[in-house]
Amino acid sequence: MDTMSNWHERLVRKTTRPTLVTTYRYWVWLAFLVAVFANGVFQYSKQWSNGLYVTDMRDRISWGLYITAFVFFIGISHAGTLISAILRASKATWRAPITRMAELITAVALIVGASFVLIDMGRPERIFNVFRYGRWQSPIMWDVMAITTYLTASVIYLYAPMIPDLALYRDRLSNKVGVARRFFYETVALNWRALPSQVRLLGKAITIMMLIIMPIAVSVHTVVSWIFSMTLRVGWNTSIFGVLFVAGAIFSGVATLILVMAVLRRIYHWEEYLTPKHFLYLGYLLAAFAGFMIYVNINEFLTSGFKLEEEGEFAFRQLFVDDFALMFWFYIIGGLLTPITLMLFRRTRTIAGVVVAAVLVDIAMFFERYFIVVTGLRVPLMPYEPASYSPTFVEWSIFVAGIALFLLLITIALKVLPMFAIWEMTEEHERNVAREPIPILQGAHEGGGDGAPESPPDVERLAEGGVS
Amino acid sequence: MSYRPSRSTARIATSVMIVATILGLSGPAFAAGIGISVGAPESVAVGQQVEVKAVLSEDGVPVEGAEVALTYKATLGGKTDRVEIASATTDETGTAVMVYEQRANDNGEMQIVYLGPGTDPVDPFEFTIAVEKGGVQLYHSESGVKIPFVNGTLVILVIATVWVFISLSAVLLARVGKAGIVEDEASAESGSMWIGALLAFAAIFTAVGMVIVFVRAPLANTDLSHPGEYETHIDEYDRTELAHVGDLDPYVGFGLKDESAAQTGDPVEDGKVLSFEYACAACHAPSGLGGVVGPALIGEIGSFNNFVEEVRDGPKGMPAYSEATLSDADLQKIYDFLEAGR
Ligand code: HEC
Repeated sequence: MDTMSNWHERLVRKTTRPTLVTTYRYWVWLAFLVAVFANGVFQYSKQWSNGLYVTDMRDRISWGLYITAFVFFIGISHAGTLISAILRASKATWRAPITRMAELITAVALIVGASFVLIDMGRPERIFNVFRYGRWQSPIMWDVMAITTYLTASVIYLYAPMIPDLALYRDRLSNKVGVARRFFYETVALNWRALPSQVRLLGKAITIMMLIIMPIAVSVHTVVSWIFSMTLRVGWNTSIFGVLFVAGAIFSGVATLILVMAVLRRIYHWEEYLTPKHFLYLGYLLAAFAGFMIYVNINEFLTSGFKLEEEGEFAFRQLFVDDFALMFWFYIIGGLLTPITLMLFRRTRTIAGVVVAAVLVDIAMFFERYFIVVTGLRVPLMPYEPASYSPTFVEWSIFVAGIALFLLLITIALKVLPMFAIWEMTEEHERNVAREPIPILQGAHEGGGDGAPESPPDVERLAEGGVS
Repeated sequence: MSYRPSRSTARIATSVMIVATILGLSGPAFAAGIGISVGAPESVAVGQQVEVKAVLSEDGVPVEGAEVALTYKATLGGKTDRVEIASATTDETGTAVMVYEQRANDNGEMQIVYLGPGTDPVDPFEFTIAVEKGGVQLYHSESGVKIPFVNGTLVILVIATVWVFISLSAVLLARVGKAGIVEDEASAESGSMWIGALLAFAAIFTAVGMVIVFVRAPLANTDLSHPGEYETHIDEYDRTELAHVGDLDPYVGFGLKDESAAQTGDPVEDGKVLSFEYACAACHAPSGLGGVVGPALIGEIGSFNNFVEEVRDGPKGMPAYSEATLSDADLQKIYDFLEAGR
């Protein structure tokens, strides 16, 4: 059997690989993303000078692909919170290798999602009016509040548990990386030496953030849903939107996490750490949320369909049988029923099966966001024909650039940030080996009690980057 | 307040007593029976309490114990009628004081009407009180259920609490960095904690900013529930102008779903109803006078063929109306209505 020291060495070697080794494929991929993003910037310059006229949004359908992207990315950002905070709070130990990626996805998706609000504005400089003249009666204002809070909180929540790993990078990689990254690690590692006082402070910070970020995350997507459901529109007029949005957010967030994990596992050979068990557990989570989404959808459509108001008929027809039927049924069958089915049978309950489910879920959730936004606005409230909307090339370019930015930020993060919570993984591995729990942070608390604080062995290991 | 006497050309400014005396001496209206004179402000603003004094005399002698009412002409639901807004009984000087709250932005003609006890007819006294433009708006009704403590302050408290925790975490991270430096002096290694300090500063800055934005919110904009209470320091904020449909063409209230409403036989009348039914009025304002969204149509629309083309085509920002939605026949009526208005 592996000695502890071998195991830890291998872990450090394998997880720091993306930071140290840059293949030509990495550059090709990076160049590709930059090109896609640059095209988006160029297309946006047209919108900047000509106004929203270059989109297909008009007076009747005034929200389209941009707002869809906003809701979609904010939704994805819920991955980090659920996986990391809920699993950390419930002390699920299998979470250790996936929390970092989840938290990273959260921060990155939030940045991308929030920018789509600006992109959707014909006069983006007027965003400051929200702060100068905002009225708290406006759901837009609540949204700005909630997202600002969530972004700040998730950056801190990404950063705090990363500090011991950054210190490890500082100690181990400083002579292997360039001057810029050396300076970066020295700065962001915040003098981490795993001193008992530091362990105690950090543990406190992580616990506070873990607890506070859960209600924040739930509030964020609820408020996003209120943007719609607080508006007098057939189809948006439902009290279940908050639940639908939060559940959908976690759903698509988990799917995105699965995809990022699968790709990185493949490229960097992280099979040892991202095991089938992780994919399976996340797959179960997907299936559970798919079931919940089905329930919420039935609840939503049955209550309004049973009483069917006059305009409701149009809303239902366009969704179930007319213009948006293809999207809708893909969402129901492909995005909700198929993932459950895939997880039901042993033959498809594999990593490949989970990845397929995740792809379907992400596409379906994008469709869902799209038809919620567009069909809601399409129901005519005045006696003219329903409007049509199909995103222009500019809109598609900017949307795709948003995806590119998402991937780009993760790609760059690979070169700089530790993609694993190495200290948490070490801790868990030790526990498995020794069958005796030595929780790193708790240990410090106990040690600090008798006046002569001694750091637990695993803390020292983090400090030295080696094993005693 | 300046007061204005009736039927007399003289302007008397201060007290009702003087008004009464002078009128008593000069009044041509007192030749026979009871005469009424009035003291009222020349103009008022919406939301103001207005005091109107009526002085009754018969042959120069004040009439005591007479009942009078203040009425004005109002249009509601297509009907125009006199509405009583205040009433009072005269005292020993023949004076009745009536107070009402100015709610409408146009008073129409007002009258003081004699109600009794005498039975001989008394000519009502007519006068006007102009309404100043730009007063507070009274369209806010006190609706909703007020729950104690469930209000903006609570929201601010919740936000502040959340941010206290976020800031606290950031400060803890800064302290992690600081704790490292202290030990460093012994080991002589360089250390820095500025990123932690920056994070803490940014978090606290945003926290304070958030709360300020929320606390300021009612001040930053007109709060309709407290007219006049807050200053609206938003001169530089250019808000989209509002069109008040009622100002120009009081909405007379017809059922749009009632098809007979547009089948009176008079194409102009029908066209008016149809212009509401097909929402032209929503953008072009009633009677096509020109609204915030759509331009004025009166005198601008040219020939009928041209008109049809425009409506079917839907120029910039206007929806295209196909023949299936809006028939040529109905369009003809709308056209006739708009033509009649020029
Ligand atoms: C959603 C708002 C809207 C509605 C509803 C609407 N219009 Fe318009 N209309 C506009 C706008 C905006 C323009 C000006 C377009 C431009 O700048 O060229 C316009 C232009 C026109 C013009 C051309 C005027 C000119 O001077 O060139 C006509 C005629 C017209 N509208 C008739 C109608 C009629 C009749 C209806 C009802 C059946 C109607 N509109 C309903 C917004 C509207």
